[in-house]
Amino acid sequence: MAEVKRPREPFAPWDRRVLPGLFDVEETARRVGNYKWVETKLFETLGGWIATVPELDVKLRLGTHCYHHAWHAELFDKRLPELREMNPERLAIPPNENLVDFMEAMSEPEAPGLTIEKLVGAYRVLLPHKIAAYTYHRNGTSEVTDMPTIRMLDFVLQDEMNDWREGEMLLKSIIETDEEIERATAHQARLEKLMLAAGGIAGKGSIGNAYIDITEEK
Amino acid sequence: MRKIFPAEELARDSRFVRQSNEDRMNDPRGARVGGSTGEKLSKLTPTLPNGPDRARALMHGIFVGEIQALEGAGRTCYDFETTTDVPFAMKLDMARQCWDEARHCEISVALAEHMGTEIGEFAENTLLYQAACNPDPVLRLTGVNRALEGLAIDVFNTMKEFGSLAGDPVLEFCEDWMLADEVTHVKMGSDWLRELTLNDKERLTKALEFQKVVDRLFSFNGFRGEDDENPIQLTRRFRELAGFSDEEIDDIAQMSREAAAETVH
Amino acid sequence: MTEIQIEPNSFEMVFFDAEKIANLASEVAQILELGDEQIKLRIDETSSMGRSKVESYDPIILAVDGGAFENTQRPRYLGETRTSETIARLLMRIIDRRSPGFANAPEDDLLDLPLRVAWDTYTVGRLNHLGLSTQKKRRQYQFRNRHGFSDAADEAFTYLWGSPNKLVWADIERISVGCRIALV
Repeated sequence: MAEVKRPREPFAPWDRRVLPGLFDVEETARRVGNYKWVETKLFETLGGWIATVPELDVKLRLGTHCYHHAWHAELFDKRLPELREMNPERLAIPPNENLVDFMEAMSEPEAPGLTIEKLVGAYRVLLPHKIAAYTYHRNGTSEVTDMPTIRMLDFVLQDEMNDWREGEMLLKSIIETDEEIERATAHQARLEKLMLAAGGIAGKGSIGNAYIDITEEK
Repeated sequence: MRKIFPAEELARDSRFVRQSNEDRMNDPRGARVGGSTGEKLSKLTPTLPNGPDRARALMHGIFVGEIQALEGAGRTCYDFETTTDVPFAMKLDMARQCWDEARHCEISVALAEHMGTEIGEFAENTLLYQAACNPDPVLRLTGVNRALEGLAIDVFNTMKEFGSLAGDPVLEFCEDWMLADEVTHVKMGSDWLRELTLNDKERLTKALEFQKVVDRLFSFNGFRGEDDENPIQLTRRFRELAGFSDEEIDDIAQMSREAAAETVH
Repeated sequence: MTEIQIEPNSFEMVFFDAEKIANLASEVAQILELGDEQIKLRIDETSSMGRSKVESYDPIILAVDGGAFENTQRPRYLGETRTSETIARLLMRIIDRRSPGFANAPEDDLLDLPLRVAWDTYTVGRLNHLGLSTQKKRRQYQFRNRHGFSDAADEAFTYLWGSPNKLVWADIERISVGCRIALV
């Protein structure tokens, strides 16, 4: 008979995960629903833009990225019933009307000469905001109770980082004049203002609050 | 951005040259599809004296066709509202198709270069994309995923065999992979057609009629069929895998024979 | 001065200009030093295919499908580069056949496909050298189809393509047959 091993702790010494997290089930479901809405709107827009961009490499990257974001939407859609939301469509909504305004403004450029605006909207504004919100969620949620969301966000973030890099490189290679720099920055500023009003892809608190409230002594 | 993007406005760089459908159909020597011509057709094989050149021209046609297929799948992601117009899962399939078609563009442009052609060497017509402009998602899906992607099965299998007979491992390898994707796309079309028309016989009939219209367009001059004179061979085995019934495949073969017979040389 | 005769003189199905074609043929003939010859060019405008052949070596009669002169980007319109290349390739074949080194070459109808393609490679390679052709990749693909997709075939192609005016029929035959033996 084999010798019985000595007892061990359920968490190995190097496993420093803790139970508490920033979000309860309801808040997680709300955020995941927002994420699904954003990913859906993004993949639809990228798909729509494919026919409108003349640059062949951009056209093909949009086709590839369209699927990446659709897959993210599918992952979030599958997560919702696990978070007690049996009708995933109910929570697949924007956090507020300001984000709807942002999405409309982002998907507005159509003409073949507006590739810069299209790429700026997706890769300089929306993707960085998604990366920020997903990273905040990933780092803030319980590493034990909400591990399925963390695993999902890790896969999603890997795509987001790669796609952001590709999009940014496409932009860098397309922008060739001072005037184009101005076009890019003006469009970025316009969209950033709309996103600021929305508070991020999951509304106010998308990436928490970094400020300290100091009560002045009377 | 508008819903339903017109074929005339498909964005291209300066290398691409557009040929209108009117010009294509009004060519008194017989309309061309995919680089072949309207006379003295025969199965596309390397043993034909002009076989490699025809395969080369066809590869350019495949490349521009893949661009349009990519654009069409992308528009289906955008043109319809999720849940009210089409199910979420169908849109996910269309997004997946975008990725596949983007890879097919990459593959076919590399193959075209391998075969000695370059982007824009041949004129492009937008007949394929036009099928992807149908405002009814069921008709669009049937026209694109069953008729056009079905044609792609036939084209890719013919090209795969061409590569095999010519001893061209690159062509055979790539066509085999693209063929696998096309079977998936046609199956998507078959599955969604069945699901979306489950309780709507009239819509099903309309969709199948639209599919026939598109199939007929691409059987022009007997371009595709299962007789020796058809450059592109109808591929029964893979069509069955993708959800086509024997009767449906027989219909396409018959349609091609009729189209060939109607051609006046 | 070359005398070029175009048949037909006007076209119904394609938008070709006989005079333009004659000028292109004349330019090519000058470059290939066939300046004093009469050349008759028969064009079958009903065909959009790209076949072309030497119908007669003396006097020179060339027969081509309209498709061989067509602008592939604009069907039914004349493609000037393509027209010049097609005529030049046929004229170069005539020049070869008139030289003693090609006395043993089989009649055109008896040439098998690999031999025809190998000869075309040598021909178009020389035209490329003269600035009359830009089809290296296309010709390489044709050569591979007839001689194998292999390093040996690619080396043979490179040799044929880059051998200006120094090969004879026996060389072409040896190279083509050699590739095919290597395939087996």
